[in-house]
Amino acid sequence: MKKVLLILLAALFIAVGCQEADASQDAEQQENPGSDTEENTVSDEPVEVIFWHAMGGALQEALDQIVASYNEAQDQVIVKAEYQGTYDEALTKFNSIAGTENAPTMMQVFEIGTKSMINSGGIEPIQTFIDQDGYDMGQLEENIINYYRVDDQFYSMPFNSSTPVMYYNKDAFEAAGLDPDNPPATFEEIEAAGRTIMAENPDMKGFALQAYGWLYEQLLANQGALLMNNDNGRTDTPTEIGFTEEEGKSIFEWVERMIADDTFANYGTNGDNMVAGFMAEDVAMFLASSANVRSVVDSAPFEVGVAFLPYPENKERNGVVIGGASLWMMNGKEEAEQLAAWDFMKYLQTPEVQAAWHVGTGYFAINPAAYEEQVVQDAYQEMPQLKVTVDQLQSTTSSVATEGALMDMIPEARRITESALETVYNGGDVDTAYQAVVDQMNAAIEQANRARGE
Amino acid sequence: MKDTAVILSDEKQIDVFKAVKKQKLVRFLKGMLFLMPSIVLFSLFLFYPLGRTIYLSFFLTDGSGDPTVFVGWENYLNLFTSPIFLKSLRATFLFVLYTVPGTILVSLFLAILANEKLKGIGIFRTMYASTMGISVAAASVFWMFLFHPTIGWLNQILQALGFNSIGWLTDPQWALLAVSISTIWMNLGFTFLIMLGGLQSIDRYLYESADIDGASYFYQLRRITLPMLSPTLFFVITVTFINAFQTFGQIDMLTRGGPQNETQLIVYSIYQEAFMNYQFGPASAQAIFLFIVILLLTLIQFKLGERKVHYQ
Repeated sequence: MKKVLLILLAALFIAVGCQEADASQDAEQQENPGSDTEENTVSDEPVEVIFWHAMGGALQEALDQIVASYNEAQDQVIVKAEYQGTYDEALTKFNSIAGTENAPTMMQVFEIGTKSMINSGGIEPIQTFIDQDGYDMGQLEENIINYYRVDDQFYSMPFNSSTPVMYYNKDAFEAAGLDPDNPPATFEEIEAAGRTIMAENPDMKGFALQAYGWLYEQLLANQGALLMNNDNGRTDTPTEIGFTEEEGKSIFEWVERMIADDTFANYGTNGDNMVAGFMAEDVAMFLASSANVRSVVDSAPFEVGVAFLPYPENKERNGVVIGGASLWMMNGKEEAEQLAAWDFMKYLQTPEVQAAWHVGTGYFAINPAAYEEQVVQDAYQEMPQLKVTVDQLQSTTSSVATEGALMDMIPEARRITESALETVYNGGDVDTAYQAVVDQMNAAIEQANRARGE
Repeated sequence: MKDTAVILSDEKQIDVFKAVKKQKLVRFLKGMLFLMPSIVLFSLFLFYPLGRTIYLSFFLTDGSGDPTVFVGWENYLNLFTSPIFLKSLRATFLFVLYTVPGTILVSLFLAILANEKLKGIGIFRTMYASTMGISVAAASVFWMFLFHPTIGWLNQILQALGFNSIGWLTDPQWALLAVSISTIWMNLGFTFLIMLGGLQSIDRYLYESADIDGASYFYQLRRITLPMLSPTLFFVITVTFINAFQTFGQIDMLTRGGPQNETQLIVYSIYQEAFMNYQFGPASAQAIFLFIVILLLTLIQFKLGERKVHYQ
C-alpha cells in the first residue's frame, strides 16, 4: 500500500516538475521574440511565406512553376506553396485556424468566400499595402477589380479569374448543316440547334447543363438579374433574393423545353462526366468555366468552338460575373513576412507572369498588359478559342448584376439551386422546383444574417 | 492526493473504521489509476466533443464555429420542419434497410459456402474477405468507374443485353440503391470474416450426432448452425447497423448527397451543414439527433435481439 502511495507521490512530483519546466520555457520564449526579429533584420536570412492554394492537377503544375521562378529570381523571400484541397476544403481549414500562428501568410480563396473572409477577422485588407506602397490597382482589368472592390476598399488581390463559356462541337455543327462559325447565342437558338443536330445524328444530344449553382448565377447575371437584393449585397447586407420570378424561372423553363424535345443530356452535378460525354460525341454543346479551354481543345478528337454564354431571346446580353479566386493577406504576422507576401502578390500581377498563367490555363490575365505579350499573341494564333473568354469579359456591361453578389451563404445557395436543377432534369415540376429555391434561399439568408448576431 | 498522504502520516492509533475507509480510498485510487488512460482518452476525444456539440446545438455560430446567438431549441425544431432534413432522415433509414440485411445475408451465404472443407477453399476464403483490405476511398473510385453513365461496365453490360442504360448515380430512383450496392460490397469482407470465424468455432460433434439422427442439411442449418452462430450474428448486425447510420465516405465520393438530396444521409448532411454552409449550430443539433436515434435503436435491438441469442 505504501508503494502505491509512493508511486502516486512520485507522479505528483513529476507533474509539478513538468509544469515548472513549461513555465520556464515560456519565459524563455517570451524573451526570445525580440532577439529573433533583431537577428532577422540584421542577417540576410530569406523570409518564408506560406501560401495556401486550391489549384489541383494541371493548374497546380502551372502555379508551382510561377512560384519556382519567383523563388529563383530573388533571394530575399522563399514562397512555399501548399495545396489545401478544393476551395471549400481550404476555406474550412482556414476557418478553424484563423488568427492563430498556424495560419498561412497568404491564401487563395474563391470569390464567393469574399464575404466570409472579411467577417473572419483573421485578415489584413490589402488596401493597407496598396496605400503604403502607392500601388496602382488601375492597371488591372476593370471588370475583375469591380468584383473585389468592397465599400471602396480592396480586401484581397485578384489572382485567377474565369467566366463560363459555351463549348460546342464544330464538326457536328457542320454535319448538321449549321454554321460552325456562328454559334447560337440565345436560349431559343440553342434549342433549335439542338433539334437540328439530333435530326442529323440521333445518337448525339444537343445541349448539356451541369447542375452547378455557379452556372445558374451566371445565366441570371447575363440577363441582368440580381442574385441578392440590396444591389447584390453591394449597398447593404442582402435580406432576400434579388431575381424576379420571370428571371429565375427562365433557366428552368429553358431546360424543361429541351427535355421535352429530348435534346437535353443530363450529367447531374458531375462536370467530369459531362466533359467525357462531349469528348465521346454524346452531346454537342455544354457550358463550363473558361479555365478548361486549353485542356478541352487540346484533347478533343474534333474541332471545338468556344462561344459566349447564352441568354433568353427577350433580354439583352449583360455579360458575366467573374469567377475564380483572389489572394488574402493574414493579420497577426510579422511585418517582414507580410511585406514579402505583398511582394509576391505584386510579382503575380506582372504582365509576364499573367501571360504565362493565361496561356497555360485559360484563366484571364488580371493585368491587360499581358495580352500584348508575345506568348499570348502566339497562343491566340495557335488557339483562337482562348481569346473568346477575354472578349466576353471585356464586352461585359458594368452593372451591379455583373459585379456579382456578395454574401456569405452563397455556397449554400449554390447547393439549393443545384438540387432544384436536378429535380427539373429528372422530370420534376418547374413551379415547385422554383418555389423551393426561393423559400430555401430566403431561409438561408435569414439564418446567415441572424447567425452573425448583429 | 496530498490528503491521502496527510491521513496516512497522521494515523497512529488503530481505528478499524478509519482503516477500512482508508483501504477503500486506496483501492478506489488504484482503480482510477488503471482506468486513467481510457478515462483521459475518452474525455478528450468523446465526452468533451459530445458536451461541446450539445452546447453548440443551442446556438447559431459564425464561420469559425464560435457561438453568436442563443436560440434555445430552435435548431431542433427547425430540423423537423426542414424538407431537406426529413428527406435525409428517410434516405438514412432506407439505406440502413438496404445495406444491413443485404450485407448479413450475402456474407452469411458466402461464409457457409466457404466453411465447407474442400480443396483450395483457402483461395475462396481469401477472396471473399479481400474487400476488408480496400479503403472506402479506393473502393468508391472503383465503383464510380463501374457506374459511369456511358463508359461504365454496368451500363455496357446492360446495353449488350439489350436493356436501356441506367443513370446509376444521377437518377434519383437508382442513386440510393447504387450507393447501397457498393456499400454492401465494401462491408462484405469484414462481416464474412467474423461469420466464418463463428462457423468454425461450432463444435463438430453437434453435426456428427445430427448426421447419425438423419437430419437433413437444411435442418442442420436451421437448428444447429444458426442458433450456434447467433452471438456472432448479433454482433455483426449491431456493428453493420451502427456503421450504416454513420456512412460518409462513399456518399462524399460517389454522389455528394445528390441527385436531389436523394442520397443525403444524415452524417453527410451534418458535414455539409457544418463545413460547407458553416452552420455549426444546426449541424450540432443534427448530430445530437443522430446520437439519440442510434442509442435508442441499439437499446431496442439489445432488448429484443438478445433474447434470441444463444450463448454457449
